[in-house]
Amino acid sequence: MSSGIYEEFLDLAGFEGTELQDMLPEWIEASGRLGLSEEDVRFATREWIPKYFDIELKGVRKLIGAFMREAIDLTRAREYKARGVKILYGILPAITSNYMAIKQSGQDRVFVSFPDIFLVAVLNGFFHRINPYLETAEAQGMTYGCRHCALNKTRISARLLDVIPSPDVIWTWGFVCDEGPKTDEFINCMCASDWDVLITRLPHDTHFGEKDFENERRIRYLARQMEHGYEAVQEKIGIRVTPESIADSVGLFRSYSTKLSELISLVCSADPQPFSGTELSLLGYPMAMPFNTGFEYVTDALETTIDEVKQRIAQGKGIIPKGAPSLGCYFVSAPVPWICKMFQENGVGLTFSLNMTPTMKMLEPPRYDDPYMAAAEAWLKRPQSSNMGYEIEASCEKVDAYKPDGMLMGAYDFDRWLGVHQKVLSMAVEEKIQVPHFYMESDFWEDRDYSQEALRTRIESICQIVKMNKMMTSS
Amino acid sequence: MQKLLKEFAEKAFSRPPELKARKTEGRKIVECVGSFIPQELVYAAGAEPYPMCRGGEPEPTDACLQYMLRFLNPFAKSLAGYYLLGLDPVTDIADLIVAQQKDCHVSRISELLEYLGLPLFKVGVPPDWEKGFAFDYYFDALGMMKARLEDLTGMKVTDEGIRAQVESANAIHELLRNIDAFRDREAPCVGGYDFIRMNHYSFYCDPSYTVSQLTKIHDKISSAGDVFSNQSPRILLAGHIVAVGDYVVPKLIEDSGGVIVAEMLDEGLRDFHGTIETTGDMLRNIAERLYLHRVPPSVFQPAWRQRFDHLEAIVHKRRIDGVIWYQLSFDEIYDMEAACVSKWLSDAGVPFLKLESSYEYSREHMGPLTTRVESFIEAIREQKR
Repeated sequence: MSSGIYEEFLDLAGFEGTELQDMLPEWIEASGRLGLSEEDVRFATREWIPKYFDIELKGVRKLIGAFMREAIDLTRAREYKARGVKILYGILPAITSNYMAIKQSGQDRVFVSFPDIFLVAVLNGFFHRINPYLETAEAQGMTYGCRHCALNKTRISARLLDVIPSPDVIWTWGFVCDEGPKTDEFINCMCASDWDVLITRLPHDTHFGEKDFENERRIRYLARQMEHGYEAVQEKIGIRVTPESIADSVGLFRSYSTKLSELISLVCSADPQPFSGTELSLLGYPMAMPFNTGFEYVTDALETTIDEVKQRIAQGKGIIPKGAPSLGCYFVSAPVPWICKMFQENGVGLTFSLNMTPTMKMLEPPRYDDPYMAAAEAWLKRPQSSNMGYEIEASCEKVDAYKPDGMLMGAYDFDRWLGVHQKVLSMAVEEKIQVPHFYMESDFWEDRDYSQEALRTRIESICQIVKMNKMMTSS
Repeated sequence: MQKLLKEFAEKAFSRPPELKARKTEGRKIVECVGSFIPQELVYAAGAEPYPMCRGGEPEPTDACLQYMLRFLNPFAKSLAGYYLLGLDPVTDIADLIVAQQKDCHVSRISELLEYLGLPLFKVGVPPDWEKGFAFDYYFDALGMMKARLEDLTGMKVTDEGIRAQVESANAIHELLRNIDAFRDREAPCVGGYDFIRMNHYSFYCDPSYTVSQLTKIHDKISSAGDVFSNQSPRILLAGHIVAVGDYVVPKLIEDSGGVIVAEMLDEGLRDFHGTIETTGDMLRNIAERLYLHRVPPSVFQPAWRQRFDHLEAIVHKRRIDGVIWYQLSFDEIYDMEAACVSKWLSDAGVPFLKLESSYEYSREHMGPLTTRVESFIEAIREQKR
């Protein structure tokens, strides 16, 4: 095996000098454990990443590097476990500061990860190679025809293929879909009886338009759930979380969130659009998952990107021509980066993701001093965790704030909570604020069913309409 | 027995015009969705309950596609679909729809009903049922449902009122248990196709009529001869729901020579195996019975091992020859559970067949479905010989 292409990959991912040389053997070993061949690495380095990621920007390369560090670290989890390090997993969506606070308190005594999202983000986003994982889970009973979530399939396969060990505990939040938490029961029943699951759930029972974060009963219940989960996790892994760690983690996320909001505003207000939705979405991931390798690498990537985007704006440089229309999205897919690129090739930019953009309410300080009540209130301010009536209201606020030429919905066809309602959500928001919405059925995590060939005409058609609308409103 | 069953059906399906008449007399109509919504409370509030439990036809599921993505199970889509097509005789006159919020399918469809302007009340059912505070949440939700019904009807719901309704329900359950026991015989004198329909009709009809009709049916069966042979393969039908009207699969099983001698379905059947306590706090009694003292539904967590233990117990107790798993398309949780059940039953040496329905029973769909069921029954029959 030649190490050349592996070295070239790390160089592409922003590694330099001795750090690159130190990382190289680990990366070669990790790639094998992840199921990547030398050819896969070559394909990613020479074709896929240069084509679909804005690697002219140092910030983007560092971002890829931050994800790679985490993926490599994930493949070491077995060794960590053998050394007595406690393994804590989680799944999307969850309040990640809880997990980071555990990491802050436990340091090297605990390994914290949401393994499936890293694997999908890295393996499909950078290598376009998640399919073997999906097929392994399908052979185990997550049938292809039922439209199960790729993240859940990946989690199952990661364990089945021994890419990751069973955790000391997986703290699973089921505040959105049912399949996420039930996947852990599936793993426990079918793949690994030592897959220890702790679930924290909340029924979808607020009424249409009701503000969940004003519902005292709901806040109190969720706070109770969180406290129960937090206590149980600490007991299982034997690590007590200090108040300082909680404060540090919350501060870290707030700081990252503020910087990310700045970047989103820059991207949405500049003409020409200086930065693509794919990387913007990827930069949003740290808001939704913990990094066992720490937050400094993604923070560095974000800060570098902001500087570079500012430079582009000052130079009048963009990824699409000046005056070209842009679309906001429910969530721009980073694991399927060609979608964004295909829009750009058709003269339309994808910008912000509704799912990654805070409402004004979310930026307000909490009403409660109790940390669990405050965390519960913060969670319930998230529109996608709320009922559809409130999500419509919040979506109107966000779309109105960023003023895109239209909205692209869809991409969550597998999700019985986040996906199934998007047609009616589109209808309602469009009716209220007159911004056209386009519904494109697709999959956020993978592209087996919705390939480039399958979506090309739909994307071209949407772009034609958006451009015509733009011309009509400009003339 | 078939004559009595037909009378029962006619009475059940005359319920909508009956409700319309009641409405003109000032009675409130309350539609109920799911097994966690106790009809007893609705009766105790002086209102008329009507179950939303219809399925088995493709058109209502298609009608939802304008609003919802296709990857919802067809039963959930039917909840809104019949209304959208103007085929639901009651929803237009309903004063309230009370829906359990146990899974994403029904929860999102409930939101669609709200979006369409229908009056909805949601009862939260936390899936993490082993936590004490999760039970408290459901119990509180029933309390809120009771208060909402009192607001609607202007009638106070008392423990005595609930108790009277619970006693009726217990009587119905006892009769169903007794009828079900006929299926324990070597040559059962009633099959699952009829038993499921009896259950369904019992949801619609007035409790006193139901008690009287089930009593007649029970007496008739007990004096009648065997209906099924002692050589008929004994089938356990398991899965999510056989909705009202969705009788193709149960009928096909029995037309193919099998007999359904037990069901393990989360919805669409009364949980007739137990009774509700009639002393003490009646609302709590109901909550405990519906939430704690039952086989946990598939979406509850943890559930699948407990559910399999229960299924295995039925297999032994009812001398089951094969299990047919009846699943609705895109029902992701049941699809996952099916894989576990299939593996565990295979380990136990019990034949297993998984069927999936999108409520599409056209000629093209029926051919393969019939072949699969017939082959399964035939294979078991051969084994039995």
